[in-house]
Amino acid sequence: MARMKFLCDAERCIECNACVTACKNENNIPWGVNRRRVVTINDGSPGERSMSVACMHCSDAPCAAVCPVDCFYTTDDGVVLHDKDICIGCGYCFYACPFGAPQFPSDGAFGSRGKMDKCTFCAGGPEEDNSPAEYQKYGSNRLSQGKLPLCAEMCSTHALLAGDGDTVSNIFRERVTWRGSSGISWGWGVAYGKPGQRSARGVDNKATGGD
Amino acid sequence: MTAFVDGPLWNFALLVFLLGIVWRLFSIVKAGSKPDYSVARRSAGSGAVMTLFRRFLPRRDMAPKIRIHTVAGYMFHLGLFALLLFAAPHVLFLEQHLLGVGWTPMPYWAFIVASQLAFAGLLLLWLRRLLNPVTRLISDADDHIAAILVFVVMLTGCLALMEEFTGLRVLHRFTVELLMIYFPFSRLMHAFTFIPSRAFTGAWFGRRGVDA
Amino acid sequence: MRMSIKPASVERRLCAGVFLAFLLGLLGLAPLPGGVAMAADKVQTELAGKPNNPGAELWRDVRQRDTQIKGVTQVEGMDAGVLININGERWRRFRMEQLIPAVGVALGGVLGLILLFHLVKRGVPIAAGLSGKYLHRFKEIDRLLHWTVALVFIFLALTGLILLTGRVILIPLLGPELFATLASASKEGHNLFGPLFLVGVIGLFIRFVSKNFLRKGDIGWLFKGGGFFAGKHPSAGFFNMGEKIWFWLVILVGLVVSATGLILEFPFFGQDRSLMELALVLHGVGAALLIAGSFGHIYVGTAGMPGSLSSMTTGYVDLNWARQHHNLWAEECESRDEVLSKSEFERSRGETPLGDRPEPLTRGDG
Repeated sequence: MARMKFLCDAERCIECNACVTACKNENNIPWGVNRRRVVTINDGSPGERSMSVACMHCSDAPCAAVCPVDCFYTTDDGVVLHDKDICIGCGYCFYACPFGAPQFPSDGAFGSRGKMDKCTFCAGGPEEDNSPAEYQKYGSNRLSQGKLPLCAEMCSTHALLAGDGDTVSNIFRERVTWRGSSGISWGWGVAYGKPGQRSARGVDNKATGGD
Repeated sequence: MTAFVDGPLWNFALLVFLLGIVWRLFSIVKAGSKPDYSVARRSAGSGAVMTLFRRFLPRRDMAPKIRIHTVAGYMFHLGLFALLLFAAPHVLFLEQHLLGVGWTPMPYWAFIVASQLAFAGLLLLWLRRLLNPVTRLISDADDHIAAILVFVVMLTGCLALMEEFTGLRVLHRFTVELLMIYFPFSRLMHAFTFIPSRAFTGAWFGRRGVDA
Repeated sequence: MRMSIKPASVERRLCAGVFLAFLLGLLGLAPLPGGVAMAADKVQTELAGKPNNPGAELWRDVRQRDTQIKGVTQVEGMDAGVLININGERWRRFRMEQLIPAVGVALGGVLGLILLFHLVKRGVPIAAGLSGKYLHRFKEIDRLLHWTVALVFIFLALTGLILLTGRVILIPLLGPELFATLASASKEGHNLFGPLFLVGVIGLFIRFVSKNFLRKGDIGWLFKGGGFFAGKHPSAGFFNMGEKIWFWLVILVGLVVSATGLILEFPFFGQDRSLMELALVLHGVGAALLIAGSFGHIYVGTAGMPGSLSSMTTGYVDLNWARQHHNLWAEECESRDEVLSKSEFERSRGETPLGDRPEPLTRGDG
C-alpha cells in the first residue's frame, strides 16, 4: 500500500504561495484558517530558503495521540484525518503538532474555538466519498478520484512533492545526487540543473522520467 | 426526539406559558379589592408608582442584615436578563422563531461577565436558602424546584456553548420547555406579579398618606 | 572608401541609438569579470567560519533545538512563522504517558488509603460523647462561601477529569459519539465555572486567612499525628495544623490552577504554544493535588471525624467535639460564656416542637 507523504524541496521553493492559494480555493476554506503556509527562513540573507508546510501526515501522529476524544484516524494510505462531528475544539492537537497544522476558526456566537480544520491530503473525511456533506466539512476528496493534492499539482517549480513516500523521496534523492554538495552556491543552476549535469552524475531522471 | 422537542413540545410549552401567565394575572386583577371608604389623603396612583420603584432596594433598617441577599439577588437577575435577551444565540432564536426582529447582541466578554454573575448569584441565593435557618424553614418544594430548574436551564445552555452538538442543544431546549410549563404554576410568577403586588400595596397605603 | 552602410534615415538612426543604449545598459548591469570575483569574495567572507554546506545551518535553525526561530510568512496566526515546535512532543508525551497514569494512581491511591484507614480505625469519634451544648463556629457568610466553592470545585473536578482521563476510561464505555457530546459539555462547563472558582478562593482567603497563620504548637500538632493515631490528642486553636495546611494548599495551588486556567481559557492575548503547554502542565498537576486533598478533606469532615459536618451546615458544633479537637478555642468560648444549651440551639434553628412553651432564655443551663 502507498504511504502518502509531502516533501518540500527548499532549493526550489520560490515563496509564490500558489500551494496556499490552490488549497484555499479547492477546499473552500473559511477566513482565518490556513491549512498550508509558506515559511521563509533567513529572509533577505544568503541562505534564504522557503518551505511550504501543512500537515505532514505523520506515521505516529502526536495529534492523534493527544486528542481527548480520540477523533483522529489514519487511512490505509497513511493519510491522517479526523472526524469533525466528534472534535470538541480543545486545541490540544495544535499544541502537540510540531508543524502547527491544526487550525481553528473563531466560530460560534462567542468567538470561542470552533472545530479543528487541517490539511487532509485532499482525501476528504469520514463522510461518504465526494458527497456534498464531505465537501462542506472537509473539502475536496481528490485521492478517491485517483488524483494527488492540488497544492503539489499547482506548485510552480515542483518544489512541493506529494504522493507515495518512496516515490517522492526517490525524486528528491535524484535531485540531491545531481546537485552535488550545494557548497555556497544557489540559484537556478542548483535548483534545476545545468545541461548535462544529470547525465554527468549518472542520474538521468530515472525516478521521474523527466522533472 | 429532536423533532419532538423542536416542534410539538415547543408549541405546547409556549401555549401553556403565555396562557398561564395571562390567566394568573387576570385572576389577580379580577379579584379586585375592597372599596376604601376613608377620605383619600394622597393619590393612590402616585403611591403605587412610588412603591413600585422604592422597593427595588431593601428598607434601610433591614439592609445590613440582608446585604448578601440583595447583592446576590441583583447579580443573578441582572445576569439572567442579560443572558436571556442579549446572548447572541438567544437573539437569533427570538428573531427566527418568535418575534421576526432581532437586535445587537452583547460581545463575548460581556457574555462571560453576565454568565459568571448569574451563576454566582443563583448559587449563593439557593445555598443561603438552605443554610439560613429561617429561609430553610419557610422554603417549600416549589422554591427548591424553581431554583434548581432555572440553574439546570442556565447550565445546559452554557454546556451547549460550542453550538456544534445537537444533543446538547436539544437538552437545553427541553429543559427550557419544562421551565416554561412549570412557570405559570409556581413562585416564578413573581417575575410578573411583583408589579401588581407592589402597586397594590403602594396604592392602598398611598391613599392613606403612608409611604409603603 | 566604399560606404558599406547606407546613409541612415532618421528612424534608422533612432533604432540604432536605442539598440546601442540597450547594449550599454546590459553591460552596465552585467557584473564585470572582476565584479564576479568581488561578489564571490564578499560571500566567502560572510560565510567564513561557517560549515561548507549552509544547508546544514539552515536545517539546524529549522529544527530549533536551542531557540525558536521565526521565519517570515504571509499567513497570520499564532506561531505561524515557526516551522517546528520543539516543545509540543515533550508536552504530549508528558501528558499521555506520565500525567494521566500518575493522576489515576494518585487519586486511586488516596481513595484506597482513606478507605483502609476508615475500615481499620472507623474514624475518630467524640471520646466524651455528645454533650448537648453547642458552640457557634461558622457564620452564615463563611458557610455560604464554603459550599459555593465546594460545589463549583466538584463540578470542575469532574469535568476536568472527564477531559483528562475520558479517552482512557469513558470511550470504551460510552462510545465515541456520546463521549464527544459529554466531553464538549465538560469543556464548556469547565470553562464556565473556572472564573467563579477563582473568585470563591479569593473570598475564602479574605474570610479565613486571619485564622490560618502558624501559631505555637502547630508543628507539634503535626508531629503528634493530629490525634488521628494513637496517643493523646494534641491541643489546637480554632484551626488545627491539618486545616491550616489544607487552607494554604487551596489558596496557593488554587490560585495557580485558576491563573493557568484563565491563561488557557482566553487565548486572545498572544499566548504562544509553549506558554499554553506550560500552563496545561501546571493546571493538571495542581488540580490533581487539589482533588487528592479534597478526598481527605471530605472524609475528615464527614465520616472521619463525626461531629464536624454540623460546623458547616448549621454553623454549630458540640462542646465535647470542640474540647477534643480544638481545645484552645473551646476554652476561649467558654471563658466568654458563648456556650449554647440544646434548647437555645433548637430554638435558633426553629426546631422547637410545636405546642411547647419555650424555656426562658438563660445562658449556661443544661
